[in-house]
Amino acid sequence: MTPQLDRRAFLKLAGATAVVAACGGATATASPSPSGSATAAATTKPTGTISVYSALNESTNNELFKAFTSATGVNVQVLPLAAAGDLQTRITAEKNNPQSDIFVGGSSEFHDPLGKQGLLEAYKSPNAANLKAEFKEASGLWTGWYTGIFGFISNNDRLSKELGGKKPSTWDDLLDPAWKGKLVLPDPIKTGGGYIFIATQIFRFNRDEDKAMAFMKSLHANIAQYVATSPGALLLIDQGQFVGCPNWSHDILTEKTKGNPVDLTVPPDTGFEVGAVSIVKGSKNLPAAKAFVDWVLTPEAGALNVKLSNRGSTVAGVAPAPGSPTLDQVKLVAYDRQWATDNKTRIQQKWQQAVGL
Amino acid sequence: MRSLRREPVLLLALLAVIALVVLFILYPQLQVVFAPGPSGYADFLAGGTWLRPLRNSVEVTLLSTTTAVALGFVYAYAMVYSHMAWKPFFRIVGILPLLSPPFVVAFSYLLLFGPRGIITYGVFGQSPVIFGLFGIWGVQTIAYFPFAYQLIADVLSRSDARMEQAARNLGAGPWRVFRTVTLPLSRPGLGAAILTTAIYVLEDFGNPQTIGGVFTVLPTQAYSLISGFGDFTGAAAVSTILLLLALGLYVAKIRLDGGRAFVTISGRASSMPRPPVPRTVSAACFVACLALAALLILVYGTLVVSAFTAVFPTNLSFTTRHFEFVATGTNGDALKNTLVFSTVAAGLSAVFALFAGWLVQRGDWPGRGVLDFLLIMPAAIPGIFFGIGYLTAFNQAWLDWVDRGWLIILAMVFWNIPVGYQAAVAGLRQIDRSLDEAATSLGASKLRGFRDVLLPMLGGSLRVGFVTTFVRAVTTLSVVIFLFTPATTVATIRIYQLVNDLNWGGATAFTVADIGMAIVALIVFAVLARGRIALGAARA
Repeated sequence: MTPQLDRRAFLKLAGATAVVAACGGATATASPSPSGSATAAATTKPTGTISVYSALNESTNNELFKAFTSATGVNVQVLPLAAAGDLQTRITAEKNNPQSDIFVGGSSEFHDPLGKQGLLEAYKSPNAANLKAEFKEASGLWTGWYTGIFGFISNNDRLSKELGGKKPSTWDDLLDPAWKGKLVLPDPIKTGGGYIFIATQIFRFNRDEDKAMAFMKSLHANIAQYVATSPGALLLIDQGQFVGCPNWSHDILTEKTKGNPVDLTVPPDTGFEVGAVSIVKGSKNLPAAKAFVDWVLTPEAGALNVKLSNRGSTVAGVAPAPGSPTLDQVKLVAYDRQWATDNKTRIQQKWQQAVGL
Repeated sequence: MRSLRREPVLLLALLAVIALVVLFILYPQLQVVFAPGPSGYADFLAGGTWLRPLRNSVEVTLLSTTTAVALGFVYAYAMVYSHMAWKPFFRIVGILPLLSPPFVVAFSYLLLFGPRGIITYGVFGQSPVIFGLFGIWGVQTIAYFPFAYQLIADVLSRSDARMEQAARNLGAGPWRVFRTVTLPLSRPGLGAAILTTAIYVLEDFGNPQTIGGVFTVLPTQAYSLISGFGDFTGAAAVSTILLLLALGLYVAKIRLDGGRAFVTISGRASSMPRPPVPRTVSAACFVACLALAALLILVYGTLVVSAFTAVFPTNLSFTTRHFEFVATGTNGDALKNTLVFSTVAAGLSAVFALFAGWLVQRGDWPGRGVLDFLLIMPAAIPGIFFGIGYLTAFNQAWLDWVDRGWLIILAMVFWNIPVGYQAAVAGLRQIDRSLDEAATSLGASKLRGFRDVLLPMLGGSLRVGFVTTFVRAVTTLSVVIFLFTPATTVATIRIYQLVNDLNWGGATAFTVADIGMAIVALIVFAVLARGRIALGAARA
């Protein structure tokens, strides 16, 4: 098959089908991204529209981008998918003809490989100058603008009836046989959250992998199910199908504020994620994309995101959401993100062998 | 071969079909198959994480296909042969599972039959483990028997009543007639139904994802490699394993029905009614269908109730705010996009599949087997890879002027070709070649023979193709998840976004709206199709 043949056949079909489209008014027209301004100097006032791939929650998207537009005058066309891996894959598949300017949200683990493949535009925002080194990629390929901490969700009714209302004060408390069949965990093979939980245990035991696996094996005896997605596991606890689950504390807090009968605890020695923002290489509106990165790193944007999503901000001085844990208060493990990424497959296999799955 | 030389138009048509199949089925999929490269495959295969999902996939496909085909056969037999009451009702209920978007319906099973399920715990005080093999088996049986029912009913309704009457007149009992006349005549259709159902089950993603627990099958493994870790290489390797399995099913199908011709539509018209079945059989059919229908109504009723309650199941106060939410913002556009894309795709797919089926089944040119395989292959390709293949192949700067909606429509057309194609081939097998040969020997071209003689008799096959493509297009998430843009968002994408956002009320309301819209559309199609309420393939 030659490219010429492709093109001819495709054009023929596209032409024929375009007639049908014109008659039926079949599809909504995608508004094209403005071009031409990409070569302008970065100092030009950004205008036009940017296309944003967002892994943030829907309610956060709407408010956050509205605030960005009123602050800068740049319009946002958002493609929301609260599954960062989907967006990462999409950006990879679109590398010949990038359709997005910005990739926002999702742990930095999802941005970093894109940077290594040369699919991101390095940009060191002036607003990122004061961020801690662990919150940004050194050459500016991605910048961390929020944090999420791993916690524990429990169903109030069932906790008080079946476990005397006793929440776990350490991760080891979950090994109590009283929890047998009442716990679920995001699947460590299928979800980033589940894997971060295992990696956290390894760092908790000072990288003694055998001890960590022994812990996971004992925990396995209490776990009724490993759930395919992190939000899916929260839903099971909301409904009272099971009693407790290690999960993201900001999402747990959001479920609680929605009126579900659940509560959050954050055992010490826990792990966390750094939520990132990055510019996609080939952006058709670079000045506006840079303006977006600058803006999400402002204290105002940080505070808004905290209010909307209960996550923490990496920007110094932004107050945490009421009732939410912060990196300063919580005792964290020394989470080595690079090590966790590099050893993922090996650890996952080790875990599978340990628990016999 | 000779007919191609004599009819240049036929040759051109054939070349056009081949070009389209290569461009829109083979080429995008090769993008995915070659993506990992040799070292990518070697690394992934050596890791061995695919072994258990492979075994699980084979196991659950065998189990679910067996039960789904058995139930589908009972339902089809009841609809075509028995004289039971409420047939129109059963027909509509039987189509509900076909209209289920993934995720949400499997959650409904969880609410009903989970550890704290309304039925299992609320009524019986039991906390069964429905996660894993047995949960998937049960849910897939319910979800896929309607597909089997559609295909089988079409085949059964086509079998010749005169032969059955003749057998009865010669003294055979109803059971013997069924066993020695009806069943053998239905064999090609049954083979196609089993194969198609097996491939759907093999490829099912939504149910194992929600209810599978640690029981990972190949599609959920592929998706989680992408979604959880952005591991496209590993996911593509898993997809290739899935394709090879489908190849195995395909070879099995050829062994099953290869070569034998089953002619039941001959030159003379048949207006004879089917021989009566005993009253007890009709009664048994009614009870069986009623039980299945009750189960389905329970599952979908849960969705409807969820959509009208504040927070199901903890706060059951009545509210319409979830539906108000569906009506706000760009949500309406998503529903409209679904309707338009699915209708256009169904029309194109059904016509193309029928024509291609005729070219392959009635053709005498070499290499038909290859085209046959390519036309059936999409059924074995996980939707997510169909989508990624399209994105990789057709996201080109020089194509930016084409509306992105067409990418979704084309993906839906070619991903759904196999059903219409199989229905066309099964339909053509049962029509005696002497009919179209009579037309050609009277001087008509082969194309004209197809148009004037065969086409009018293939209405059933065309409808199977159209209806099935429509409902699969309405319900697909995986194909569009990498193809949608803000302006071309469809209903299933919105449902997926809402589920991920844990907006259960909004997600169920959207699902109810989506299913409702699809039902209305199907009724309109049925009315347009000669005024009969003939949803799906089953013609009573």
